[in-house]
Amino acid sequence: MTPAAVNSPDDGRPEGVNSTGTPACRADNISGPPLLSVEDLAVDFTLDEGVVQAVQGISLTVAPRQIVGVIGESGCGKSVTAQAIMRILPKTASIRRGRVLLQSKEPDGPVLDLAAIDGSGRTARSIRGGEIAMIFQEPMTAFSPVHTIGNQIMETIRLHRKLTRRAARAAAAQMLDQVGVPDGGARLDSYSFQLSGGLRQRAMIAMALSTKPRLVIADEPTTALDVTIQAQILELMLRLRRDLGTAFLLITHDLGVVAETCDFVHVMYLGRIVESGTVDQIFHNPLHPYTQALLESMPRLNRPGGGALRVIQGAVPGPFTTIGGCPFHPRCDQRIEGTCNTGAAPDPMAMESDHTVSCWLHGERGA
Amino acid sequence: MSEPVLLDVSDLSKHFTVRHHLTRRVTGVVKAVDGVTFQIRRGETVALVGESGSGKTTTARCILRAMEPTTGTVRLHLEGRETDVLAASRRELRSLRAAMQVIFQDPYNSLNPRMTVMQIIAEPLVIHGVVRGRELVDRVRELVRQVGLDERYLNRYPHAFSGGQRQRIGIARALALNPTLVIADEPVSALDVSMQAQILNLLKQLQDRLKLTYLFIAHDLSVVRHFCDRVMVMYAGKLVETGTVEDLFTRPRHPYTETLLSAVPRPDPRKKSQRIVLAGEVADPSNLPTGCAFHPRCRFVEARCRDQAPALRSDGGAQPTACHRADEIDVQGVEG
Repeated sequence: MTPAAVNSPDDGRPEGVNSTGTPACRADNISGPPLLSVEDLAVDFTLDEGVVQAVQGISLTVAPRQIVGVIGESGCGKSVTAQAIMRILPKTASIRRGRVLLQSKEPDGPVLDLAAIDGSGRTARSIRGGEIAMIFQEPMTAFSPVHTIGNQIMETIRLHRKLTRRAARAAAAQMLDQVGVPDGGARLDSYSFQLSGGLRQRAMIAMALSTKPRLVIADEPTTALDVTIQAQILELMLRLRRDLGTAFLLITHDLGVVAETCDFVHVMYLGRIVESGTVDQIFHNPLHPYTQALLESMPRLNRPGGGALRVIQGAVPGPFTTIGGCPFHPRCDQRIEGTCNTGAAPDPMAMESDHTVSCWLHGERGA
Repeated sequence: MSEPVLLDVSDLSKHFTVRHHLTRRVTGVVKAVDGVTFQIRRGETVALVGESGSGKTTTARCILRAMEPTTGTVRLHLEGRETDVLAASRRELRSLRAAMQVIFQDPYNSLNPRMTVMQIIAEPLVIHGVVRGRELVDRVRELVRQVGLDERYLNRYPHAFSGGQRQRIGIARALALNPTLVIADEPVSALDVSMQAQILNLLKQLQDRLKLTYLFIAHDLSVVRHFCDRVMVMYAGKLVETGTVEDLFTRPRHPYTETLLSAVPRPDPRKKSQRIVLAGEVADPSNLPTGCAFHPRCRFVEARCRDQAPALRSDGGAQPTACHRADEIDVQGVEG
């Protein structure tokens, strides 16, 4: 460490850093029954080559105002989970079992099972885009290039709320202002290709929020953006949660994004949740070897380089490979021969409050 | 640093003229790269960072002469001889290109889907007529082993491989002609975390073994901290700060560098970054702001920033920075 770096005034940093633990704005205003609970959801893809079990029985909940993260590498089933909740799975996929329960808007209203209703029926269509909205990774393809941004947002609004064109236009302009698109009213007549990446992503968030959804599913919302624009979008999400009480299910592979925004985190590997916990538990006491390896294989901004990075050996197996025992065991450096490579995959085991892990190192059989 | 200079880029600019689609009259100029000067020494790993549209890739393309720059010189020092890349004849360019190779960002689009791994890696060797027949096959096998791929997969097509494996194929192709300088344009951006670590370790190993020099174009600053020796920060076609990784990350001097560093999400929920959220977007290179191009987004802006463009200069031993106020402002680096 150079002398100047030692002298750099760490204490002089702006206020708001809570050295003891989680920042105060987080998690403490979450209460009540979950808005969404996914129970034992399993999704299969039927392809010519065979059946792929993309999601194999996952459970998670999202409470009002909560930001829940789902992290995992490509192919782990995180996007399929989002599509199953939204009932926008491709034709080759089907929900094999499980429930997706959405709490009614009224306190004592009925609970609706999204997995059991007709995916293209009237109810599903009113919930999709209305109660639950979705933000995609690539805003270029999420907008139609032949309609103006304004018309597309207005279409969404008028599908879900009884408004005149004029009122819908005003609402759309207001929404664009709210997500920080400068001069929102004038932008209504732009086409998506006329906007920069950051503005396009904001416009998509405006469209998603225009129906005042209770839950927003964001699938890699900042992956295609520059860090400076990503910072703007993350701030925006936190502000919308604070101002409108929107809950988010955030799907990403970026651990930094998760650490900065989420209250609760699920780590997925090969269609299963392998570890769940509060953001503090996952980042400061990771129990699953996969979570540990993910965290350690990341280069850090504040860690000088030099040596080799820790590596998770091998690659995520292809969709048609079947692995006996724990699905992570071929890549795990802590595997117990005779335990991890045989039998069934380990079930989730509760460790401390809210912290669960599916790993024989922490279960009965391994000990 | 005692190693000799390998690449010497001086006052490099690439301006694109914008024409009206019917009248063909020139309606504007896009200054994608504007007066960039830097040197890279043998064995160094130098990062070129900046937001999309800042001119990183255009700079690389001009160096490779995949694009003719508007002004400037690019010199490559090879085996004690200095060659002016921009004045090179077609024949000279051929041997220069063998010495400068590229690894691309997207391992899905940079490999021809109709060619086998064998054909992809052998192609540069065939074009440059280096080896033939039995020797060619042996050389490809050696390259494949070097990047950690299984020789049994030589007759497969790219679609059969994962992103990380494809990137290994791209690396093997880049190494086929024994290059001296490797320009890696976002080589790990499209990869998952676990693959990213494997590829970075591989690039480092290959550098040690083959004495490679890297120009590493990146936007992920955590990767740059880990992998690079020096950094050049680019904004709207100009270098705004250059220095060693250590200096630039812990003691940045340009407000833009500070912003870039602060925007990186920290993977630690107990240490939330003190984000400096920039208003607005990257400067539009076809309509650059007057004075310092960063001034509309800068939190330290004052009158002279609006009308005078600052030059990249270093004072008192600190790293070169293009900021009028570099000596007066308190710019935050990365916490320990």
